[in-house]
Amino acid sequence: MAHQAHSYHMVDPSPWPIFGAAAALLTTSGLIMWFHYSSTTLLTMGLLSMLLVMLQWWRDVIRESTFQGHHTPTVQKGLRYGMILFITSEAFFFLGFFWAFFHSSLAPTPELGGQWPPTGVKPLNPLEVPLLNTAILLASGVTVTWAHHSITEGNRKQAIHALTLTILLGFYFTALQAMEYHEASFSIADSVYGSTFFVATGFHGLHVIIGSSFLTVCLLRLIKFHFTPNHHFGFEAAAWYWHFVDIIWLFLYMSMYWWGS
Amino acid sequence: MTGRSAARLWKTLSFVVALPAVGVCMLNCYLKAQHEHERPEFIRYAHLRIRSKPFPWGDGNKTLFHNPHVNALPTGYEDEN
Repeated sequence: MAHQAHSYHMVDPSPWPIFGAAAALLTTSGLIMWFHYSSTTLLTMGLLSMLLVMLQWWRDVIRESTFQGHHTPTVQKGLRYGMILFITSEAFFFLGFFWAFFHSSLAPTPELGGQWPPTGVKPLNPLEVPLLNTAILLASGVTVTWAHHSITEGNRKQAIHALTLTILLGFYFTALQAMEYHEASFSIADSVYGSTFFVATGFHGLHVIIGSSFLTVCLLRLIKFHFTPNHHFGFEAAAWYWHFVDIIWLFLYMSMYWWGS
Repeated sequence: MTGRSAARLWKTLSFVVALPAVGVCMLNCYLKAQHEHERPEFIRYAHLRIRSKPFPWGDGNKTLFHNPHVNALPTGYEDEN
């Protein structure tokens, strides 16, 4: 039709969804080639194409919204539902790993020495670096809230400072976790303790990296004047995701680091 | 306690509560790290250092974040043999 008579966004045909599916296929089959046939070619192609699809797809969303104005309040409402549903699915993802942890730790088998932590496993002291990491993520939740209100109130300089501080705290957390992984006396191969600990905290760390990247993109967009005090959903989505990452950490800390030690 | 603006409140919370708390925890870690601890003796437990199949990197025997000083291999600490 000549002009649009509704408030929705009928997106132009795009190659990214199918390329994204191809990237997923390359990545998964690439993992098989790596694990079973010692070849990394397919995996490299998969991860590279995944990165390229993400960059170009989200670049297009920014073009459609910030530059072309297609994101009406109706469209934004749909995006809000979408982000909420996605984060909910991630919560269920982590729920599975918490289930596995409690399954093994509430009734430790004789093979583990009938105790948790298992015999021979020296857990990390929850009051040392893990406590610092908790403070770091909680602090970053405060700074990202400062950033949000700065955006809503039109204070550009403070918003940039607050968001930068948030991202730096995120990097600090990641660096400390990497150090902890290297310094821990137990590894992923040390009974189900190692499996549950490193898979759960490992996926959490991956989500911290994803969240930090999301926030960094928001910082670049903030600097380039993409956000207005009333319309900045990309930032809100990043902030929601970041709070989610923080909450997952709190559960990890209370259950695995503290109760499980 | 909103004062003049919400941004002002959260900025204050950031610099008066959140970041100092991080600082205190950093100090705590630094002090605790001053006295190094001895590593436990190597006992060949069957449930630890499991190797169902080789890892897909290196010689297949070291975990991804292997630290020879604190992580023993299935046969013992590397620097003791």
